[in-house]
Amino acid sequence: MYETKYQRASNVEDAAKMLAATDDGKFISGGQTLIPTMKQRLAAPSDLIDVRNIDAMKGIAVDGSNVSIGAAATHAEVANSNDVHKACPALCDLAGMIGDPHVRHMGTIGGSIANNDPAADYPAAMIALNAQITTSKRTIGADDFFTDLFETALEEDEIVTSITFQAPSKAAYAKFPNPASRYAMAGVFVAQVEDGAARVGVTGAGSSGVFRHGEMEAALSKDWSEAAIKNCKVDEAAMLSDLHGNAAYRANLVKVMAKRAVAAAG
Amino acid sequence: MIIPGLNCDNEYCMDISGEHLIEADREHVWKLLNDPDVLKKCIPGCESLEQNSPDTFRAKVVLKIGPMKASFNGDVELKDKVFPSSYRISGEGKGGIAGFASGDAAVNLVEENGGTRLVYEADAKLGGKIAQLGSRLVQSSSTKLAKQFFDTFCEIASQEATV
Repeated sequence: MYETKYQRASNVEDAAKMLAATDDGKFISGGQTLIPTMKQRLAAPSDLIDVRNIDAMKGIAVDGSNVSIGAAATHAEVANSNDVHKACPALCDLAGMIGDPHVRHMGTIGGSIANNDPAADYPAAMIALNAQITTSKRTIGADDFFTDLFETALEEDEIVTSITFQAPSKAAYAKFPNPASRYAMAGVFVAQVEDGAARVGVTGAGSSGVFRHGEMEAALSKDWSEAAIKNCKVDEAAMLSDLHGNAAYRANLVKVMAKRAVAAAG
Repeated sequence: MIIPGLNCDNEYCMDISGEHLIEADREHVWKLLNDPDVLKKCIPGCESLEQNSPDTFRAKVVLKIGPMKASFNGDVELKDKVFPSSYRISGEGKGGIAGFASGDAAVNLVEENGGTRLVYEADAKLGGKIAQLGSRLVQSSSTKLAKQFFDTFCEIASQEATV
């Protein structure tokens, strides 16, 4: 058994101090990726600093069209929030599709986006909703936050504290889950934001993680319909290829999921 | 051509290839490809690279892929050197409980418009837990690591050429 020291932070300043004092520590939120990784001995941090009990990271607030979700909110809390449902039901649908009930009751939105798994669901919504991601140090637009596979703009001692966005006029998420893991083989979040502009976030499929599909955005901004994206191209060279599906398969799935999402958004 | 996936020994095999155009002459690029300090800077996560003989090195590499973090100890060897146009760089390392990794890359340098085109073809193999659990991520992560190596190398080579 490897020894790990568990500590609980009560505010973000303390959390950063605790991390700085460790040999090889890590922040932990719901632990739905980190704990299984540790159980397999693929990670052995000296210390775990739990950030779920920081008050500033809790709760969901909806004020008119402003939606603010604390980073420690679990997927189940987002899925079942009446306030979020009124502002952006697509985000509740997405949260309700993540993993299984255990994952949804433990995993948090902040943990999910800080991990930036290329097949995680939330990153697609974050870039499609043009969310602002507030951390212990600054606010970062979603477009600049997700940088590559498992990589974000976050520094080692920086913690996501909340996510804010403007309620879209319409939005929907469609995903083709891997039947075993429920991770997205391809997941597409479409949103119509201010001035009728469309944003399309794609997860699960891109070889550099989540991305926006510019051609579909342009087509949907002019004409919000399945037919509008019929001739859009998805670049196979930019797709993931693994034992679950090759690049051509994923490129096709992206388009199918995009059409389903557009139809669902109405 | 290797079809990416697990073989019957539960090892994950894959091909990675790519090419870069470097704005530096071929002999200069060759010199840098044989410089341990340059190699150390280019190998992602390399903490130490000690030269044992002109063409063999002992390396310690910390590999971070998302939540995974494993420390590998291994040997790197430069083989089949043909000055100044090609060599093979091969390495293998053990990462304790995480498993093992090995790889072999053929590197070719071709003169082009006063610069040098670097072409690489690598095959890599991963075994143990990292291969089984990470199969969803192994291919894309490995391609990214190879790209990172050559991107850093090209950056160093181009910079030095302009100084």
